[in-house]
Parts: sequence; structure tokens; C-alpha cells
Amino acid sequence: MRAGAETAALTAAALLVTLLLFGGFVALHGVDPLAVYATLFVGAFGTRFSLEDTLTQAAPLMLTALCTAVPARAGLLVIGGEGALVVGGVATVLVGVALAGAPPALAVGAMCAAGAVAGGLWIAAAGALRHVRGVNETIATLLLNYTAIAVMHHLVTGPIRDFEQVLKPASWAVGERFMIGDIPGTSIHWGLAFGIAACLVTYALMRRTTFGFGVDILGGNVRAAQMVGLPIGTMILATCFVGGAAAGLAGAIEVVAVHGFASASLVVGYGYAGILVAFLARQNPLAVVLVAVLVGGISASGGLLQRRFGLPDAATVVLQGILFVAVLASHTLHGRFRVFPARAG
Amino acid sequence: MTATADLGWWGVLIAVAGGAVRVSTPYLFVSLGETLTEKSGRVNLGLEGTLVMGAMSGYGVAYLTGSPWLGVLVAGGAGALFGLVHGLVCSLSRVNDVAVGIALFLLGTGLAFHLGKPFIEPTAPRLPHLALGTWSEYPQIRSALEINGLFIVGAVLAPLLRWGLRSTRWGLVLRTVGDNADAARALGYSVERVRTAATMAGGFLAGVGGSFLSLYYPGTWNEGLSSGQGLMAVALVIFARWNPVACFWVSLLFGAATALGPALQSIGITANYYLYSAAPYALTLGLLIWSSSPRQALVGAPSELSISR
Amino acid sequence: MPSPPGPSVVRPRVAAPPAVEIRGMSKRFGALVALDDVSLALAPGTIHAVLGENGAGKSTLVKCVMGYHRPDSGGLVVDGRERTVTGPRQAHQLGFGMVYQHFTLVPSMTAAENLVLGRDDLPAVVDWGAERARIQAFQRRMPFALELDRPVSSLAAGEKQKLEILKQLFVGRRVLILDEPTSVLTPDEADRILGVMRDMAREALLTVVLITHKFREVLAFADEVTVLRAGRRVGGGPVGSLDRDTLVRLMMGGGSVPPPAARAAAPVREPVLEVDQLTAHNDRGVIAVRQLSLAVRAGEIVGVAGVSGNGQRELVETLAGQRAPEAGALRVAGAPYRRTRGEMRRHRISILTEEPLRNACVRTMSVAENLAFRTFDEPPMAVGGGLVSRRAVRAHGAALIARYRIRAAGSEARLETLSGGNVQRTVLARELSRSPAVLIVQNPCAGLDVAATAEIRGRIMEARNAGAAVLLLSEDLDELLELADRIVVMFEGRLVHETLREDADVHTIGRYMTSHP
Repeated sequence: MRAGAETAALTAAALLVTLLLFGGFVALHGVDPLAVYATLFVGAFGTRFSLEDTLTQAAPLMLTALCTAVPARAGLLVIGGEGALVVGGVATVLVGVALAGAPPALAVGAMCAAGAVAGGLWIAAAGALRHVRGVNETIATLLLNYTAIAVMHHLVTGPIRDFEQVLKPASWAVGERFMIGDIPGTSIHWGLAFGIAACLVTYALMRRTTFGFGVDILGGNVRAAQMVGLPIGTMILATCFVGGAAAGLAGAIEVVAVHGFASASLVVGYGYAGILVAFLARQNPLAVVLVAVLVGGISASGGLLQRRFGLPDAATVVLQGILFVAVLASHTLHGRFRVFPARAG
Repeated sequence: MTATADLGWWGVLIAVAGGAVRVSTPYLFVSLGETLTEKSGRVNLGLEGTLVMGAMSGYGVAYLTGSPWLGVLVAGGAGALFGLVHGLVCSLSRVNDVAVGIALFLLGTGLAFHLGKPFIEPTAPRLPHLALGTWSEYPQIRSALEINGLFIVGAVLAPLLRWGLRSTRWGLVLRTVGDNADAARALGYSVERVRTAATMAGGFLAGVGGSFLSLYYPGTWNEGLSSGQGLMAVALVIFARWNPVACFWVSLLFGAATALGPALQSIGITANYYLYSAAPYALTLGLLIWSSSPRQALVGAPSELSISR
Repeated sequence: MPSPPGPSVVRPRVAAPPAVEIRGMSKRFGALVALDDVSLALAPGTIHAVLGENGAGKSTLVKCVMGYHRPDSGGLVVDGRERTVTGPRQAHQLGFGMVYQHFTLVPSMTAAENLVLGRDDLPAVVDWGAERARIQAFQRRMPFALELDRPVSSLAAGEKQKLEILKQLFVGRRVLILDEPTSVLTPDEADRILGVMRDMAREALLTVVLITHKFREVLAFADEVTVLRAGRRVGGGPVGSLDRDTLVRLMMGGGSVPPPAARAAAPVREPVLEVDQLTAHNDRGVIAVRQLSLAVRAGEIVGVAGVSGNGQRELVETLAGQRAPEAGALRVAGAPYRRTRGEMRRHRISILTEEPLRNACVRTMSVAENLAFRTFDEPPMAVGGGLVSRRAVRAHGAALIARYRIRAAGSEARLETLSGGNVQRTVLARELSRSPAVLIVQNPCAGLDVAATAEIRGRIMEARNAGAAVLLLSEDLDELLELADRIVVMFEGRLVHETLREDADVHTIGRYMTSHP
């Protein structure tokens, strides 16, 4: 409990510093920082509409954050959420089109599973390279991101292109029957439920099972894990697969809940924002749920910032970037304060 | 026009060669910069963000002042600033330099896109080049033999850095800090200061490399300007075994790989354009796999480097 | 101030080393008093030994002298003048140099580059022609020579040690502090180096401060000795006036050395652990274990002697599953041993590596969790098909903490809050509480005080008496002579000598440790 309090306090401190720096940043543009803070809040949580928008933005972040958070517990720094999401989206479309006549429940289930498996295999490949060849997984997953995007562009402008889409190149559509709707009474799609469920399940997996205990040892000290005979390779592959599957599922949800097809619209930075969420949540799947809402809120308020102050939409990316740096810097303060004794967990 | 048709596949080869020189320049600068940083024991994965910031600031300054070289200088300055932030944050204990790099990658690209919005439309003056091919009537040969100014700077810088690492005090100190930080401390040097300075130098060169993208080739500023060159340079440094002159040659290789797609397009092979654009990433991954081994630390890596342990 | 080293760096034309006095030095780290009003005088041209157990304050004292720590009180008097040392540079200017236990050489650089690097007045541009000439001239006057152009990473530990000393002499240090310099050397090499130091001191070229815990070196080479205990100076004087027993008493503070553990008579049994033609590489891909074969029987301790760096670490890592063998076979109880968790559990294999924090623990996990590394996936800790019972983990932890007297703020305290000795006890508790049938131990008592050392040796003997097959690798010959039934010597990855404890001859073993049979 104390460790949680320490994390919360330091995160709050990082957030405060971030807001101050961002306030200074917008002041240089001649914009009033206090007005910006107010708008950020309103744009994220102020109205029912903005709250729903925030939760909609948070849903994919919960999943892509797991792509970093789960392998991180095994000591790997994976940043391949963007690529796994794209791969998942493409797989979803392919399965959806292949099962065109099937009952919707079955097809959507299969599509989501396909997306998850595709994403899982994509990141597990990087895990395999790490275990078998010692290839640095951060660089490898980053390269795989670019590769996934390039392959997606190739497919979407070629083999699986739907030429009736005139706005921009897009794949074949999966059809209205296979789209999942919104949670009743809201305009938030069911993806949010998937996201929360995934976080709860991974939390249970990583913190309550013998598998999770073994992963903690691996992530804490690989040499100790070797010495007690734990199956390192299997654990690396498993954690990478789980993380990748979560991001792949995010891609599947983008297809079945938002767009209905695969296109460049899959590449909007959910993967990268997910990395921030994971670090902010200190790689804890439960905390990911709350942090995703926070970061989702920042993204959601972007539109309002643009309309009210003329700030480019990249302004929220700047805010997230500053927050990321501040959070990493705050890690140095963990354990420094006597108020929070050094307890495990 | 008949000249084009006559060249055929030779045209592709020449285009790749010329493209290699052209496209390798940003890789060259970023990799030389990252070599310095990694020799000191830090890895800076944020160079992609630095690259983009360099491209944006260089373009903006060149547009506003009319001088592309001033743009290059300011781009370097912006890169050094990012390097400073990286160095300072990583100097705090328990901070993971890989994570900081990713954070700065995101911040740098966001900041560049944010501040660079006004510069997307206007045109800035271009960096000069040395035209060595005026004797030819083929436009491909003429274009391939246009050696840009920054490439020449880089080609001189590479052997200079190698000499510096061997025969100057800062070079020896840099290598000490990166290979055995305790030894450096025993000699009385501040490890954090040296690493921050090295990261700033690396950022400066990366910023300059970025300015090349906007001020020469492709020669415009927009949000799709870079896609991973900064990251590939990190892998390039590993493959080049932290040797500046090897970085030069490997950069040319990467340049050639990247230039393959457009070169094929020039003779009418337009299919699978995106797959060719994936070639550099595949090449990078392949080289990385080749250079790594599960049993040993990366050969030739500075011992203090986190990604080599 | 000494002039920069030229060819005449160690010839008598230079003045004698300074007379140094350390006055009333004290240093605390938080609540820990590391040094308490320590004073000693270094007469020029002498070897002054500083004797004490681990944790007595020897390292802290010299680090204050060298400027790595600022003492809370006290100071230095050099040649009659008071001096403050604010950092290593000032220490160097006063002519102080230090050779550490861990090497301060840069692995990727050559010996020549390392020598030049040590210069205080390193010019901005290095003229390698002139530097090489200077180094050659210097080498001609030294009793040992080294290859200049090989990267340090390819040198053996003994050669690295020599290079460290050369480095200090090359840059003209007059007061040389050697921190346990012979721990990586064989007895003969140690004698040779200390002999050179003594000759140079006699010629008034150097004053040497020798930090050690080895009485033999103190009595054979030092002129004066100062004994530290718990941060205080408890005695000392000219070496001629003190004998070994007095020194032991001073060092230990009146407590007696606990007697060695009793050895039970054991019948000869089947081999349990078999290493068959094992070949393994080190981290740099260089071969470290060469077709090594040995067998350990139940109820015996096989001691492996050797200077560190001859493949012992790689051998233990291979047995522990931290390194994959290139060739050869491992067998336990006749069956192939692939270092899986199941095999470790079935055959009751336990391992005590050196550097437990680095090899066997996770600092950020709790003591109870660390104690559960071998048992978390079996009942009672594993419940309901894959879940972990935190309560069972805690209970198990509390029981072991009590039984092995681990000092920790509760079973949930993070391991990193424990002292080094208690971390060692934690690993010991985890590994020995399973009544192992095979026990592999490496340098178990490094860095521990005499009481803890006796305790651990006692437990190893207990395991042996209970029928375990024990493989004990140690750089401490005394330890092997006390514990082992059979002693083998490892040199350059091979076993080169075998003897029973009763027949063991220290000098023969020492010669095999450097392969001069």
C-alpha cells in the first residue's frame, strides 16, 4: 500500500511539473496558461461528451500500454504497440472478409482472436530474436513498427484495396453486420470493456499466478531466474505474446468498432501513447486503467485546444512528451523519501 | 528522353550510387553523433526526434534568414539542446537511458510538428552541392554526381573522429568513461559531465543530419519527412562496431538500400513501392541480427553501454 | 611537486617520498561510524601494512586519503605541512596513488593507452611516437615487463595487477596504496611483487601502504603495521615487535576463532555429480573451461583451488544454468543434467554462487519472496492450479528468517535493505534448507567477518556430513584445506593436479596454480 502511495505522489508531482512547463510553453505562444489548464480539464472531463470522448480514447491505450507493461515485468523494453496494432487490424480485416457469411457473434469473436494472435506473434518474434540471438528488443520492435506500417500501406494500396473508398486508400470493409456497437446509454464502443477486462486479466496473471511470480524473478534478475531453473525462453515468448496480443486486439477493435476497414487511420500514435501510459503506471496493469483515462483525456482535449486557442493538434503530443520525460525523471526520487519505507511490491 | 531509355538498368545502378551518396548523408551524421554518445556509455534512442527537430528548425531558420548554412547551424544547436536534456535526465540515478530516449523521440517529433506548422507551405533556400557531372549528357549521371556540401563535411569528419578517439585527450577520456566508469572516476573525471557532453555532441550532429533532409533531399518540410532514420542510425553504429570510418561505409550501404525504391521507379517499376520502402528496415533488422549473439556481449561495445549487457 | 615522468622516473636523482601523517581521521556514513579518530604515520621509504577484517575501515581510510570521501574530521600532514585533499587530483599532486581491488583499467584500450591515460598532465593531442619512447624507457627500468599493444581485456588477472602498479609508477606516484593487491595472484607472484615493492621502498623511491588481511604478507614484507577494528586503531607498531598471535588478537578483539567444523567419517560412495569433458566459453567468446572432467561423490567435499580467472566462474555458471556449454556432458545421479527446474528439484541441487546479489537474488523483491524462489510453484505456496498463496510465502519466509537468524525488518522488507552478510544468509537459507543432495559452492565467505565465515563453513560441513556431494570452488587455500576431502587445482580451464587433504602440500598446489609443476 505504501509503495502505491509513493507512486501516486511522485506521479502527481510529475504531472504538476509537466503542467507548469506546458503552461510556460503555451505562454510563449501568447496564450494564457490558466485558460489552457481549464480547457484541458473541460476537454477531458468537463462535459458528458468530453468524458465519453476521453473514455473512447482511453480504450485502445489500455491495450497498447499492456504491450509495453507485460514484457517490462520480464525485464524487456518493448515499444512495438504501434506495429502490433496495425498487424492486428489487418488480420482482423482478412478474417472478417473470409468469414463474410458467418453469424456475426462467431465472426467478430474470430476476428478479435485473429487480431490478438497476429499482434501476439508479431511481438513474440522480437522476443524470440532477443532470446535466441540477443537482439535488443527495443530497437527490434521499433523497426517492426515501421515494417508493419509499410506492409500495411502496401496491402491497403494494392492486394486488399477497396477501390470504392475514394477518400484515401483503404482495405475491403468488413461490413456493417460485423461492427460492434456502443455500450447502451453511451456513445462509447464496447472496446472500453475489452480494455478494462484485458487489464484485469493481465493483472491477475502477473501478480497472482506462479507464472507471474516467475516473470517477476526474470525481470528482477535474469541470472537468479537461470539459477533456479526457470524456463527463460518460454517466459520471454509468453510475455511478448500477451503484450502483442493486447495491442493486436486494439487493432481489431479499431476495425470492428471504429472504422470497419484497415487504412492509414490505424496509425495515429496509440502505440506510442501506450508506452507513456505503461511507464506512468509503473508497468502495473491495474494502474494502466486509470492512467489510460488520464492520457486519453489529454488526447481528447486536443480538439478543444485547437478550436479555442488555435494550437496545432500536435500540442497534446508535446504535453504527453513532457509528461513522459517528467515521469522518467521522477523515478530517481523513488525510495529517497523516508515517509515511504522500502517495502517490497 | 532517349538518353533515359538507353541507360535502362545502368540507370538504376547509377541512380542507386548517386542516391547512396545523397541519402547516406543524414545516416552518416546521425551515426557519427551516436558513435560519440555510445562511446561514452549512453544510448540515445531519441535521435529520431532530434533529427526531425533539426529538419524543422533548419528549414525554418533558412527560410526566415535566407541562409541554409545558418539553418544547419541552428539545427545542430537544437539537436545539442535535446542532447543536453537527454544527458541531464539520464544523469539522475535509476533513470533508464533507453526509456528517456523513447520519451524524447516522442517529444521531439511532437514539438517539431507543433512548431513547424507555419513552415509547411513556404520554400526555403537549398544547400549547395558540388556538380561533378557536368561533362555528361545524361541527366541521371549529372544528378548522381551532384555531391552535396554536407556529405563532404561528413566524409572529412569520419576519419577525423577516428583519429580524435585515438590520439586526443578528450577521445581517450570519452572511451574510458564508456568502457570503465570507475576508472574514469579514479582519474578524477566526472562521468556524468562527459556523457552529457557526448550526448550533446551527438545531438548536434543528428540535428545537422536532420537539416539535410529539409534543406537538400527531399528538400521540403512536412510531417512525413523522416521515418526511422534516427533509429536505424543506432543499429548502424552497432553494425559498424563503433568505428567512425566504418559508419561512413555502412551509411553508404543504407543510402543505397533506401535509394533502391525510387531508382526502380525511375525506370518504370512502380509496383510494390511500399515494400521497397520497407527494405531499409529489413536490412537494419538483418544487420542487427547478424551483429548480435546470445552468448557474448556485442563485440567491440563500450562496456558501460546498457544495450550491450 | 614531482616533475612529469621522464626516463629518470625511478632513479635516485629524485628526492625521497614525502613523510605523511594521518591525524585523527573520522568518517560516518549516516548512522554507521566507518572511521573513528584514526592516526598513523608513514615514514618515507617503508612498507606500512594496514591490517583488519572486512568492514574494519581500511578502505574508508585510504579513500579519505585519496580524496574520494571527505573526512568528517582530521587531516593530513605531508612533509610537515597540513594539506586538505578535496579530490583525487589533489591526492595525485601530493604524490599519492592507489591500486584498487577492482581494476581501473579500460578493457578495450591497450596497455600503452592505459599507461598514458593515467597521466595528470595529459596533453590535448597525444604524440604517440614520443609516448611510446617514454614508455619503452620506463619499462627497461622495471622488474617486470608487459606487452604494450594487447587490449587489456585479453590480459590475465595477474598481468592486469602488474599493469595497475606500473601505471602508478609511470606517472610518478611516491606514496602507493595497495588495496589487497595479492588477492588475484598466486603465492609466488604475490611474493615477487611484494619483493619488488620492498626493494623500491628500501631505495627510498616509494612508500607503500599495504591493505591486507593476510598475516603472512605483513610479517614477511611490512616494516610497520597498524591494526584497525570497527573503525578504530587498536594497535600496531614495528612488525618486528609483534607476532602473529598478537595480531590476530588485535584484529579479532579478543574473541577466539571458532574451531573448524567436525568432519564425520564418510564411506566411499557412488559419484553423484559428474562433469564430463566440459567445454565452455566466457562472455567474450574465449574458451574458459577446457574439456574438464571431474566427479563428486555423496558425502565428500571436492575443493577446486585456483587463482580467479582460470575458468572457475564459467564452470559454476554452466552448472548453475547461467551459461550454455559448448561441448561435454553433465550428469547427476547417472542421468543427463540439463539444468531444468524439474531436475534441480528432483535431485535436490543447491547452488551458492559468489556475489549473491548479482547472481541469486532480486533486490526489489522481499526477503520472503527471495526465500521462495525454489518453491513458489509447488504446494503449499502454489494453490488452486497456478495461483500463489502470499500467506504461505510469508510463513515460509518467517520460519527461515528465524532459523537462519537473518537480520531484516520483517519478511516483507526489500532484500536491498539487508546488509551484505544477511543477503548471504538469505541465499544460504534458501539453498541449504532443502537438505540438498548436490551442493555447488563458490567463494562463500568472500567479504564476510570471521564469525559469519565460521558459521557458513560449519553449514557446508553439515551438508557434507548429511551425505551431500559438495563441489567447493575457492580462492582461499586455507578454506579448502579446512573443508575439502579432496583438492584439485584448476588452471586455464583444466584440472592440473589432484591430492587428498591429508597429502596436500601448499607449495605444490601453489605451483600448479601457475602451471609450474
